[in-house]
Amino acid sequence: MEFLELLSPSFFLLAAAGSIIGIIFGAIPGMTATMAVAVCLPLTYTLGLQEGLALLLGLYVGGISGGLVPAVLLNIPGTPSSITTTFDGYPMAQRGEAERALKTCIVASLFGGTFSAIVLFFFAPVLADFAIKFSYVEKFLMIFFAMSVIASLSKNILMGVFSGLLGVLLSLIGTYDVSNGGNGEYRLMAPFMEPYLAYGFSLLPVLIGLFGISTIIEEAEKGAREPSLENKVNLNKGKPFRFNIFKGQFSNLMRSSSIGTFIGMLPGIGGSAASILAYTQQKNFSKHPEKLGKGEPEGLVASESANNGLTGGALIPLLSLGIPGDSTTAVLIGAFTLQGLQVGPLFIGENIDTWFSMITALMFANIVMFIVMFYAIRHIAKVVLIPKFILYPIIVMMCAVGAYAINYGIMFDVWTLFLFGVAGWIFTKIGIEIAPLVIGFILGSSAEVYFVKSLESYGEYSILFTKSPIAMVLWGLIVLSIVVSVMIHRKSKQHANKEAK
Amino acid sequence: MFDWFSSLNAVVIDFDTSHLFFPRIVISLLLILGLVIVVSYFRPVMQAIRTGRYQFFVKNADFFRLLMTFALIPAYFWGMDAIGAVLPNMGLGFLLASIPFVFLMSMLYCHDMTRRNLIIIVSNAVITPTFVWGVLYHLFAVSMP
Repeated sequence: MEFLELLSPSFFLLAAAGSIIGIIFGAIPGMTATMAVAVCLPLTYTLGLQEGLALLLGLYVGGISGGLVPAVLLNIPGTPSSITTTFDGYPMAQRGEAERALKTCIVASLFGGTFSAIVLFFFAPVLADFAIKFSYVEKFLMIFFAMSVIASLSKNILMGVFSGLLGVLLSLIGTYDVSNGGNGEYRLMAPFMEPYLAYGFSLLPVLIGLFGISTIIEEAEKGAREPSLENKVNLNKGKPFRFNIFKGQFSNLMRSSSIGTFIGMLPGIGGSAASILAYTQQKNFSKHPEKLGKGEPEGLVASESANNGLTGGALIPLLSLGIPGDSTTAVLIGAFTLQGLQVGPLFIGENIDTWFSMITALMFANIVMFIVMFYAIRHIAKVVLIPKFILYPIIVMMCAVGAYAINYGIMFDVWTLFLFGVAGWIFTKIGIEIAPLVIGFILGSSAEVYFVKSLESYGEYSILFTKSPIAMVLWGLIVLSIVVSVMIHRKSKQHANKEAK
Repeated sequence: MFDWFSSLNAVVIDFDTSHLFFPRIVISLLLILGLVIVVSYFRPVMQAIRTGRYQFFVKNADFFRLLMTFALIPAYFWGMDAIGAVLPNMGLGFLLASIPFVFLMSMLYCHDMTRRNLIIIVSNAVITPTFVWGVLYHLFAVSMP
């Protein structure tokens, strides 16, 4: 229990602060948990490892949870994963049950978050133990599998694959790193860029640009208008919340939390997919499916327990395989690198104290989230009123600080931020998907090392297929993910055609 | 038959050019995919553009605020570098560039310029960057231009 010595009062204070700041970010429409983590990264630069992680995990949990506030009160999902919360939350609020709806969501969020943290605690070490046996071939196939899943669940498979590969290509800019067995030669850039791009684009400025600056540009394009408060619901009246609202909801809570955790484990799939799937499943299992969407608490339970189930789920592949489960954990991987930690199969075994303190931070952040939101929901509800004209300049400022400080004062990183902010804004308009691109960017350079070194060692392409039974299983999974996605896309196309007729 | 397969299967990577091996594969795949995408979607996309179903900018885009954002952000980044070069090692590049930037961007995005909002904007432009500078530069020793 040596890790207990690492848990200082500042550790808990930072986890709590992270959770509260995250809730505020999540509660502001348009601000996401990813942005909360990205913007607050500079705060962790001088913190110790445990404290830094406590703050970031608090931000993650708070950011995902805060999205339920505008979903219920304004009919606007604060984060993409709260989309299904609007379906029943807003009708309930209109009936004068706003506080009841919010507190139902908060309790469901706590359940989902705790459930996924427990799954993370038990499942990640098992997966990591298994992954230790992986050689470069299996590691490459694992990345290939992760990317095939991301691409196949994109809106358009071809564009998903293209986006992922584009991310890989961007990650290869720079030198072929000697420390990874490369020859140290420059590639994919003009000679005048060599002083700036010797080590390629820094991960965090790229991520902050894609998730932070591009959001600001998108908002500027729409005129940075404040959300309409005409629909805002008054919290000071209506039916009070009682815990008996959860009577008969245990199976819903378990199912939706499991769906959230499982979807979180699949790389690159956002929270909206988890909550939509959980909501649809609840509709299938509900005794009164026709009531869902008209203000039924069970809809809220499904949506919120699923999107908080994501938090622990997305950390499973990150900590056991080094593959981020969603965009927020992609930013977290940058924070780990910053602290000199390599996440992957060896992470938990070699950093057992950090592992325990992470689980503690995650559980504690969930409890803080619950206490703060449950007892101060009336005050938090006011956050949705912070005007964009105050918030957005501060976000750009924080992004600039974060990018500049990441490599201890490199101005090129700040320009990278702007470059990728503009690129992110253009990409979404031309159909390039950001999630596969980011995962491709993060995993691209590792994929290169694993692929090239495997071929250099064995001298034949067939080794990628025949190295071990695990490799064959991974190929089977890759094929399966592609086949399933093609079938899903075909089915939804047929469905759309039928509806059009 | 076996020889033919072996020759196809064999791979030798020259160390001197090994930095180009993987990028070439990725670029080739991107080109092939790009071609497939163009062939598959060229017609429907062109049709959508012609009929106005697809537009690059959002409906009723606010070009003034968009263009000003494109001007303000690089000017801010350039400004913090330039000021930081004149007044180095104090984080003053950040502070002195952030105050006018936050003020101008708030003015740009504010739709309802009342006296109250103006006071909020000016106070925010002075207090927030100063607070961030004080906390991050002095308390947390975070690098700033």
